[in-house]
Amino acid sequence: MIKTAQDMKSYKKLLDQALNDSFLRSALDEFNTAYRENRPNVYKDLDFNSIRDALAENKDSLIPFLEILYEEFKLNAEKAGTTVHRAKDAREANEIIARIARENKVQKIIKSKTMTAEETFLNDFLEEQGFMVTETDLGEWIIQLRHEGPSHMVMPAIHLSRYQVGDLFEEQTHSKVDDENIDKLVKVARHVLRPRFLDADMGVTGANFAIADSGTLGLVTNEGNMRLCTTLPRVHVALVGFDKLVSDLGSALGILKVLPRNATGQAITSYVTWIKGANQCLNTSSQKKQMHVIFLDNGRLSLSKDPVFHTALRCIRCGACANVCPIYAKVGGHKYGHVYIGAIGLILTLFYHGKENDRAIVKNCINCQACKEVCPVAIDLPHLIKKTYARVIKEDGKTPVKNFLLAKVMKNRKLFHFILRKAYLAQQPLTKGKPMIRHLPSFLEKTHGFRSLPVIVKTPLRDQWQTLSPKLENPSLTIALFAGCAMDFIYPNHGKDLLTLLKNANIQVDFPMNQTCCGLPAMMAAEEKTARTLARQNIHAFEGEQYDYILTLCASCASHLTHNYEKIFRETRGPARDLELFTNKIIDFSSFMDKVFKFPQTSQVIHKKVAYHAPCHLCRGLHVTNEPRALIKKAGYTYVPSKDEDVCCGFGGSYSVDFPEISSEILTKKLDNVEASGADILVTDCPGCVMQLSGGMDKRQSHVKVLHLVELLAGKK
Amino acid sequence: MTEKAVAVGTIVHEISSISQAVQYAVDLIKKKNLKTLACPGLDPKDREILLDLCKSSGLNLLEEPLRNHASSLDTALTWVDYGIAETGTLMLASDSEEIRIATMLASIHIAMLPISKIRQDTSAIEADLNDILKNDSPSYTAFITGPSRTADIERVLAIGVHGPVELHLLLIKDIQP
Repeated sequence: MIKTAQDMKSYKKLLDQALNDSFLRSALDEFNTAYRENRPNVYKDLDFNSIRDALAENKDSLIPFLEILYEEFKLNAEKAGTTVHRAKDAREANEIIARIARENKVQKIIKSKTMTAEETFLNDFLEEQGFMVTETDLGEWIIQLRHEGPSHMVMPAIHLSRYQVGDLFEEQTHSKVDDENIDKLVKVARHVLRPRFLDADMGVTGANFAIADSGTLGLVTNEGNMRLCTTLPRVHVALVGFDKLVSDLGSALGILKVLPRNATGQAITSYVTWIKGANQCLNTSSQKKQMHVIFLDNGRLSLSKDPVFHTALRCIRCGACANVCPIYAKVGGHKYGHVYIGAIGLILTLFYHGKENDRAIVKNCINCQACKEVCPVAIDLPHLIKKTYARVIKEDGKTPVKNFLLAKVMKNRKLFHFILRKAYLAQQPLTKGKPMIRHLPSFLEKTHGFRSLPVIVKTPLRDQWQTLSPKLENPSLTIALFAGCAMDFIYPNHGKDLLTLLKNANIQVDFPMNQTCCGLPAMMAAEEKTARTLARQNIHAFEGEQYDYILTLCASCASHLTHNYEKIFRETRGPARDLELFTNKIIDFSSFMDKVFKFPQTSQVIHKKVAYHAPCHLCRGLHVTNEPRALIKKAGYTYVPSKDEDVCCGFGGSYSVDFPEISSEILTKKLDNVEASGADILVTDCPGCVMQLSGGMDKRQSHVKVLHLVELLAGKK
Repeated sequence: MTEKAVAVGTIVHEISSISQAVQYAVDLIKKKNLKTLACPGLDPKDREILLDLCKSSGLNLLEEPLRNHASSLDTALTWVDYGIAETGTLMLASDSEEIRIATMLASIHIAMLPISKIRQDTSAIEADLNDILKNDSPSYTAFITGPSRTADIERVLAIGVHGPVELHLLLIKDIQP
């Protein structure tokens, strides 16, 4: 039985367990890297983006009509002898299945892999009713023997080593198995399970597609067990979510193009099976199988009408959102979901299994956008996770202290900045006059001491601006700087470096003084009202002047201002025109320097190797990838690639404070990869990443220096 | 077709007659030290040829219903309906329980496909498949791509978990089934 933490304290304990499981850690880390490295090969002949958009559009056109598609499916399937049922919730679905079993005098049931039956905890229910249930998918069988839930939607036993599987199989067969040899372990399953197929009275499966215009099920599998489950027993029951309904074969084939590719890197699985009606079954008097399809609602139909969350029903269960998730790679599926795991699991858990099971896990998203990038049906997963979190808070009816403070402080810029200025004084006992805080008080050091912390400066950039950037007479370009809190209060030098770079270029750089935090931290905390207030304040702060660009050196701010403001106001019907004027002018530092400023190629060769860390919100948020690397080379440095360059650094704003254990692990891998590249300097173009990376390098006393790209271009080495 | 099928672990040979296919099956079974063979869907006259060969080689050509031989079924020889070149996939209408049992339980499946039945991709067989599905009678249609496989233990690919351990594809020149 699955037990998911329902509060942060017990969740943290479980996370610690996972982080200390060395097999899990290395297996999932390797999987994460291998999956991402293999992905371009898998899609080399296809245009993923256009397929994804077409699939999303197709799914969206079906979701409002699931009830109609159900009726159409039922009509067509029943013509061929299928009995079609609908179940409003898990219990009803399980009861229907048990009733079918009883009516057909079934004792032994075999199952092929179905997440929908995991969702309803069908096995537990059937076993309580006295039926003998055997999972026949290898991974599912393994976890059934261990009384666990799946830790991945496609590879349910990915958290286990061959030796753990070997021990289990020895118990089953009462004989020694060669647990070094995976091929032999697999053959054990073949031999032990074969008689179960032959003896079974009923087979239970899920389905990947329920095709309405013909009443056909489509099933996508590899092992061949599903084919046996649907052939040998006299009764076949398929439990299918309403969201699996598609209009026609063409829609199913469209999904089939990406499902195996995204899930396992296969162009197609070993078996794709199209089943319609009561097929031939020669050991019954009618010579026909008993064929039942049960459509499970369990919240899907109300979800289909939800203006925000209906897109979650696009999910085709490929599992890719877990495959690329840096957090999943550290803690595994049992700690990263309830039944459904990964990014989609953090969302669906609320709707299918209630707020208690989602309360803790839904907070565990670093917003790195990796899942969104690979989702084959374009679900905006990071955004929906935050919306889910907001809904959990609302349903719980208790505002977390953090949200209360965020709302109180952030909405009032003057109060917020007053507190930051006071923080300069408060940190004095810790800084000891150094530019970084190396040691925290002992009660914080253990969990938060994995990186040195930056220091809040005495004089923020805004207070120095007038003297730093005087008005020009006839500027060729007028830009406004969106500093972001980090540059303003921690790294004002980045602002000075920017002005050094632009000197003599006749570019006016303004600093609108009413600008405030972009609002991303509020959005990350699901503090939606505060995020909206901040968005409005910033849009107003940049009104009036005619700016050619609004430049920011923070990738997170840039991505938030560009994409999230639009989402915030779309959902509340905010100021459309002002918003567009504002967001259209936003430009990130690398794009500005490369495309607008046209940073020249230097003839000078600097004998230093530079590695690059691609900030999540730049490479995935804004799809800026070539420019920063080009700029490093133009400045005369040797750019050295490092492994997993575009994987999150583990910062994620307050994520690194809320989940320091995970943040620290993600950071360690990142720094190891950079050091292995042989780089002298690590460059990135987001002050948040600079904070995390330089804090980590400082703590491990590495020779690798961490710089913002603006510092490198301005001549710092 | 051949390239993609081989890439997913299918063993592909081009042959020029059904009698060659039958000979291939018998030779393979002998080589593998197996005993039994099922051939649902074969023409009676082709079955006769096969039966003679089996007899002379000491092999057992199983009688239908194959359900009765479920635990002793080693090899299946069947026609398939289409080849899908893009992915090396075979399409097999498996409405008959005999076809299903043979191709699912055997450890070796030998599939015969006339070269003229190879199509470029799924969209090229979509209309035919749709005709099958839109018919009001029950149907069970399989796309088969390589042998049965799993990567459920440590993501290591292992072949032959529940279905055939080997899939052989015999591409037959210029004849119709």
